[in-house]
Amino acid sequence: MGTARQRRTDEYAEFAVARAGHLYRSACLLTAGDTHLAEDLVQETFGRLYVRWGRVCRAENPAAYAQTVLTRAFLAHQRRRSSGERATDVFPDLPGAGDGDASLRLTLLDALARLPAKDRAVVVLRYWDDRSIEQTAEVLGVSSAAVRTRCSRALGRLRDLLGEDLSEYARP
Amino acid sequence: MLETDRPDPFEDRLSAALREAGDDFRTDRTALATAGRSRGRRALLRRRTALVGTVAGVALAGVGGMLVLPSNDPAGPARSTAASSGTATAAATAVTGDDLLRELKALLPPGTYREESARGSDDRLGPTASLVHDDGAGAAAIAIGFGRVVWGSARVREMTACPDHDVRPYDHCTVDRLPDGSMLRLYQGYEYPDLRVDTKLWTADLVTTEGQHVSVSEWNSPAQKGAPVSREEPPLSTQRLRTLVTAGVWREVVDAIPERPKPSRSAAPRPARPTVSGNAIGDTLTTLLPGKLDVVARGGQESEYAYVVVDDGRGRSLVQINVQYGMGDGAGPLYAGGEILPDGTRVVTRQEPGEKAGAGVVMWTVDTLRPGPAGLRVVISAFNTGDQNEDATRDAPALGMEQLRKLALAEQWDALR
Repeated sequence: MGTARQRRTDEYAEFAVARAGHLYRSACLLTAGDTHLAEDLVQETFGRLYVRWGRVCRAENPAAYAQTVLTRAFLAHQRRRSSGERATDVFPDLPGAGDGDASLRLTLLDALARLPAKDRAVVVLRYWDDRSIEQTAEVLGVSSAAVRTRCSRALGRLRDLLGEDLSEYARP
Repeated sequence: MLETDRPDPFEDRLSAALREAGDDFRTDRTALATAGRSRGRRALLRRRTALVGTVAGVALAGVGGMLVLPSNDPAGPARSTAASSGTATAAATAVTGDDLLRELKALLPPGTYREESARGSDDRLGPTASLVHDDGAGAAAIAIGFGRVVWGSARVREMTACPDHDVRPYDHCTVDRLPDGSMLRLYQGYEYPDLRVDTKLWTADLVTTEGQHVSVSEWNSPAQKGAPVSREEPPLSTQRLRTLVTAGVWREVVDAIPERPKPSRSAAPRPARPTVSGNAIGDTLTTLLPGKLDVVARGGQESEYAYVVVDDGRGRSLVQINVQYGMGDGAGPLYAGGEILPDGTRVVTRQEPGEKAGAGVVMWTVDTLRPGPAGLRVVISAFNTGDQNEDATRDAPALGMEQLRKLALAEQWDALR
């Protein structure tokens, strides 16, 4: 009996190590650069996956499932914060322009931080994780129309904050 | 993605920029995966605690994070470090992780140490230290954790009581009141409740009248890496554990934990969450059971959990139930693939082998989550045995899936607070 348990534990470990990097990066974007919270969310995600591993490993796409769990953990975390807290208050002190890529990244993260949490989740799912409108809607438990609305609002805000030409934020 | 046409070039640029930004975040993947597994294990233990009344879950929950994630993130923005070290309202005499490790080693028998990790009193997740100690007779994981508790609370009563031996086997457990009024529980049990693995877990929990909680755990294995058993028993005798956990220095560590408006969710349950008394659950369950069933035994915990053993004339059947609030957050995946009732209640059912040592035991479960912010979860399981650790005594539980469902969805649970 121990061997089946062991095999599942091994499978879990293999999956977790393989996905940890991507999930962590997703979490960093979702939290707009709060790496401490990001680590916490990824651990929370892995903890939940571990508990449900028997089911998760049979899922069609465990990696996508993991991303879904992470996103929901993030949103649950945001909900638990004081409801009066506005997104723009969360990360008030970003360093100004520094040098090199770090400052560009911080500017992008700063812009993300100014989005409401759910809009940020939409942006990360759509443009970082390449999910369709429908898939995004499913993860967030809202309608496709709601995702479209959030998405276009978030894009508009990011345009305002970052400018139309984003090329400086991406290495060629 | 499904849509291939993305008319807006800004969207492509955004994707590229996000990738660029994301790729700069580096972390220790193995550490993250391992820490996640520890968290999952604790969650499983806590769940089993809720289901069966165990000590280990509480002990581990008290210890907090067994594994500390190395801060292996040179690319991370500096402000995250500031954020992680708390809100600058740290108590005057902060204790660092290194302090904890030094004090811990001073109280351990001679030997070697490895895999040391610790968090100081200012850490958001609470102070803890753990290491693998080898006294020459085999490597063993030892961990200590600290927290503040409310003296007299249900949680403290639970952490200073021995579990119900009938539903969870363990070797030894004592609870003493010390001269200063503190309660000390010394427990010798197993890492896994089903005893299929011989990893022993011995714990000592001290709760002082001032609400300082110190929890020491030791294993007969370098357990943090899921390693096999390395020795017959954990290295510290009960007497030694007692000396270790009652050392005066630890109380200062608890006092050094800064007061925070909102405790971390891994350190303590959210205070706003209402709890339901175990007695009330047992009473309600008893009144809801079909009349042909005799209740031959019952019990439970201070809160959230109760069990009854029923007999329909064809053998005993254990029925256990959890009624918990605050379970709504992120519970979606748990109910994935289940059913959603018109009122929004989520339902999943499971028929699976028992989790414990009894042979041929099956466990039938109906798990429900009511809609709404209160997050009321009612989960009921029935077994084809009166004691999960004993072999099956009948083919099927005394309650069918439909009856379990009716019980779980009964509106009486919504009225219990």
